[in-house]
Amino acid sequence: MIESALVVLGQAVAALLVSPFVVGVIRKVKARLQCRRGATVFQPYYDLFKLFRKEVVVSTSTSWIFTATPYVLFASTLAASLLVPIFLSQVPFSFAGDVITVVYLLALGTFFLILAGLDAGSAFGGMGSSREAIVASLTEPAMILSIFAVGLTAGSTNLSTIVHKTALMQGIVTDPPPHLMALAALFIVTLAETGRVPVDNPATHLELTMIHEAMVLEYSGRYLALVEWASALKLLLFLTLLSNIFAPWGIATEAEPSRMALGLAVWLGKVSGLAVVIGVIESMFAKLRLFRVTDLLGVAFILSLLAVVFFYILRV
Amino acid sequence: MGAIRPDIASQMVDLCSALLLLTCFAIVAQRRLSACVDLFALQSVFLAVTAALVAFLTGIHHIYIAALLTVIIKVIVIPRILKKVIERLNVTRELVLNVNIPSSLLICGALVILAFYITQPIISLGFLLTKDSLAIALAIVLIGFFTMIARKKAVTQVVGFLVIENGLFLGATAAAYGMPLIVELGVFFDVLVAGLIIGIFTHRLQDTFDSVDTSKLTELRE
Repeated sequence: MIESALVVLGQAVAALLVSPFVVGVIRKVKARLQCRRGATVFQPYYDLFKLFRKEVVVSTSTSWIFTATPYVLFASTLAASLLVPIFLSQVPFSFAGDVITVVYLLALGTFFLILAGLDAGSAFGGMGSSREAIVASLTEPAMILSIFAVGLTAGSTNLSTIVHKTALMQGIVTDPPPHLMALAALFIVTLAETGRVPVDNPATHLELTMIHEAMVLEYSGRYLALVEWASALKLLLFLTLLSNIFAPWGIATEAEPSRMALGLAVWLGKVSGLAVVIGVIESMFAKLRLFRVTDLLGVAFILSLLAVVFFYILRV
Repeated sequence: MGAIRPDIASQMVDLCSALLLLTCFAIVAQRRLSACVDLFALQSVFLAVTAALVAFLTGIHHIYIAALLTVIIKVIVIPRILKKVIERLNVTRELVLNVNIPSSLLICGALVILAFYITQPIISLGFLLTKDSLAIALAIVLIGFFTMIARKKAVTQVVGFLVIENGLFLGATAAAYGMPLIVELGVFFDVLVAGLIIGIFTHRLQDTFDSVDTSKLTELRE
């Protein structure tokens, strides 16, 4: 009982502490590729610390939604990250929900963020919200289907079971084509959901292009800190899903301190590696026009659909 | 099969052919002509790797030669020719499509499923090295056909044609462990000549119509 509590606590602390680091790594890689020295990878921590101590300015035209959203967003994202195996394949909270819960906890946060963007009544917020709604509605099916494709081979939609069985190569007939397609689909979804370059540019405040930044434009002080931290946490959650669903090897399969420490180290390595990949992609590609985003997300959806269909065809 | 377990060997070949299929979808979703050519080159790299894997696993040495020829002709020579053609054109991307990209993707998805259903009885009968490669090869051929139909610019249609050829080569390698070397050489020569001719043809199209839209060819009638 106490062990489980400790594992849950450790997972929450690891997720919360590592998430700004991942954002820092991506920024550092981008800076290096642009021949800049760039801020230290720990800059996001300083930013968060500074924001938490700043005064909050709230527009008089806003309702309770605006003040509640940062807390809802942060809490739902943190809850979702407790359901995803990070360093131990069988999460103590796995009884509380499976992959569908994770997806809709994230969707709850997105929903409130969209409302908050509309709430302040500024033109930018409305624009950002409508764009986010398009992207979110297109990524959701692709995300669910791509995880289902892996879930089908593992025989469960529970993330812990999927990761555990894949890590032990137990009862899994791995079929490279569907897995590869699901991986590609989930990677595109990751880029879109976390507001990365082909879909959104996290470094811009140009009104024509921004999506996420436009929604959070009205936030300041500790609210902004919570929103930023939650989006970093979401990014980390997606990278964890990518690495632990498709290549969980190295994760601890039993709750032993030494193996969990090893699992933590391997996870850090995998997540940082993926962060470097994302940084390189952000430097290589230009942002897509908004109306071309549907093409990219269409690719993700078709790939994930094929991954699921393959399972049935190949088993006939 | 050597030192590698047969199931792992067949999974490795499957993985490579799945990469070929992935690049197919990227080609269908891509509007920029030069990026299409790059993706075709990447697909040919995966094809060469698949062929080399099959050669290694079966011990049939002439497939190595085919893989080498794939690298020389389809990864280096033909993309170079197509890039030269694109440099001369005044278009860099497909703007008007016969079928828009999301529906193209849906159709290609349906084509893949069709290919898998068609090949299912054959796969269960035969003693193939891999489970999926034949189906994937057929899917690639169908997607290549579709690209030729759905796109208007001559360059993308050439890429569609070359994708069909890649699919056929994958099918031959996966299902029959490659064709006899002399046939293989003939096919490579054909593809090279076809690439050259279509390159020249595209130049002529550009000179005559100031565009590489092949639907303009219907204006040739008296």
